[in-house]
Amino acid sequence: MAKEKMLRHSGLVRLVHWSIALSTFTLIITGMFQLPLAKRYFIDQLPGLSWTADYSSTVLIHYIAAAVLLSAVSVHIVYHVIRKEYNLIPKKGDLKESYQIIKSMFGLCEEPKSDKYLAEQRLAYAYMAFSFLLILVTGVVKVIKNFPAMHFSATFISWVTNIHNLATFMIIFGIFAHLVAFAIKANWPLLPSMFTGMVDLEYAKHRHSIWCMKSAVGKEKKHQPKYSIGR
Amino acid sequence: MGKLHKIKGVGKVSNISRRSFIKRTVAAGAASGIILSGANKIAGASESGSDKVGTLIDLTKCDGCKGQKVPACVSACKSKNESRFPEPVENIQNYWPQKKHENWSDKRDLTKRLTPYNWTFVQNVKVDGKEISVPRRCMHCDNPPCVNLCPFSAMEQTSEGTTQVNPNVCFGGAKCRDVCPWEIPARQAGVGLYLKVAPKLAGGGVMYKCDLCYDRIKIGQNPACVEACPKGAISYGAKSELKKAAYEKAKEINGYVYGDKENGGTATFYVSPVSFETIHEELEKQKASQPNPEAPGFPTMPVQVGNFLDSANGMASALLLAPVATAFAAGITAYKTMKGKEEE
Repeated sequence: MAKEKMLRHSGLVRLVHWSIALSTFTLIITGMFQLPLAKRYFIDQLPGLSWTADYSSTVLIHYIAAAVLLSAVSVHIVYHVIRKEYNLIPKKGDLKESYQIIKSMFGLCEEPKSDKYLAEQRLAYAYMAFSFLLILVTGVVKVIKNFPAMHFSATFISWVTNIHNLATFMIIFGIFAHLVAFAIKANWPLLPSMFTGMVDLEYAKHRHSIWCMKSAVGKEKKHQPKYSIGR
Repeated sequence: MGKLHKIKGVGKVSNISRRSFIKRTVAAGAASGIILSGANKIAGASESGSDKVGTLIDLTKCDGCKGQKVPACVSACKSKNESRFPEPVENIQNYWPQKKHENWSDKRDLTKRLTPYNWTFVQNVKVDGKEISVPRRCMHCDNPPCVNLCPFSAMEQTSEGTTQVNPNVCFGGAKCRDVCPWEIPARQAGVGLYLKVAPKLAGGGVMYKCDLCYDRIKIGQNPACVEACPKGAISYGAKSELKKAAYEKAKEINGYVYGDKENGGTATFYVSPVSFETIHEELEKQKASQPNPEAPGFPTMPVQVGNFLDSANGMASALLLAPVATAFAAGITAYKTMKGKEEE
């Protein structure tokens, strides 16, 4: 018998997630190739990678990926603000709760009950949101400064460049931590939800009991089935 | 010659604002430079309301200092900037995994090309029976790709419109040279910040090029090459006035202007009695006969060459508008789903 499932991420949320993931990956790669790496380290000699040494190609791809990322981020913000969905915003006590979650992984204590997102996920979101804010704002300034009519002071541009470069490494670290989280078995049931949107109901009840309870209350209030059964 | 270029009122700098000082400097420089070059009807730069500076190089006057071993502008540039020339470490490492590095420190006397020790030089071509000498160095572009695309912002465009390298920040990746239509900046290995990081693995030295003697123009003096030219072939002053003068001179001699349309506009205007297409062709031939034709440092003169950022800037508006459009669509979607919920 198929397991009962529960909707965790809508189609739009998944689209935004994967648009951000793919554009960010593209931006990191093409951003790295804004440095004179390809020719020096013979990367452009590898099959299919001759374009990496062509700054005019890499900068154009960087711009296109930036447009996708900016669009996805703007959808994310506008959509959830209008719907008043703030599940991922960190709450008071999240640091302590994250510590408890980590301790529980080693069997040192019981895992605290969680809402739709774990405390550590909310903290990770804040870190990533801040990093993306830095890179997007500085990136937009960098695009504007390239227009012929624009002129900014060297000091300002130097700050913008350095913050953009620093934020790149902050994001790379964040993505690394995000992926490492899936090395932990307890997080595995969350993986399919990023593709199908659905998560096992039993898992949700066990680990995200506050969220399940809220959903159940919402279901009673609106007489609307929240669970998708038997997928 | 030098005295004629001297600007009155330099001693009063402390009593005037920087902006007005530069305006006066530019006005004086333009007037003196253009008077020397033979052009007339030059209005003061202050009238144009612009602080941007530029140079006019009159190829009807420049003869490459015939008879002299080194042209006067080249000698003046070298002696003025000598204290800024690189002093690399003794054992310069290769740019791993490449088996080479750029070292000009043992060729400091080269004056027939651009090197880290020679920031201007004169090219000589023979076109339609006419001998043309072309002083070459950084054009100081209006929208310089070298400045815009440096990954560490080690290059700067000053408010006067000149461009310069910050040798303390430059890592020597030479991207500025790759995106310059004339491949002007020259690299010296074994010097600069990269030595303090991972000299074998990353970085390549420091880039060097003309900064239009920024320290001199800031105190009201002309660039060294302008001062030194015995023919008054190089004029320095307000860019707008020099541009006007360049076109007037070109009209007068039925000649051509180079530098106004190239790379989206520059602060250097060449006036020539022969077309720059033909000069470019000759220079290409000379470049091909260089010991290493692929090597930068011997710029040609491609007419109306585009700016490296033209395509990127062309789509930048779309880049900035895309999130606005998608945010609008997201707003409608969010509103519809909420409305749907309420109705249910």
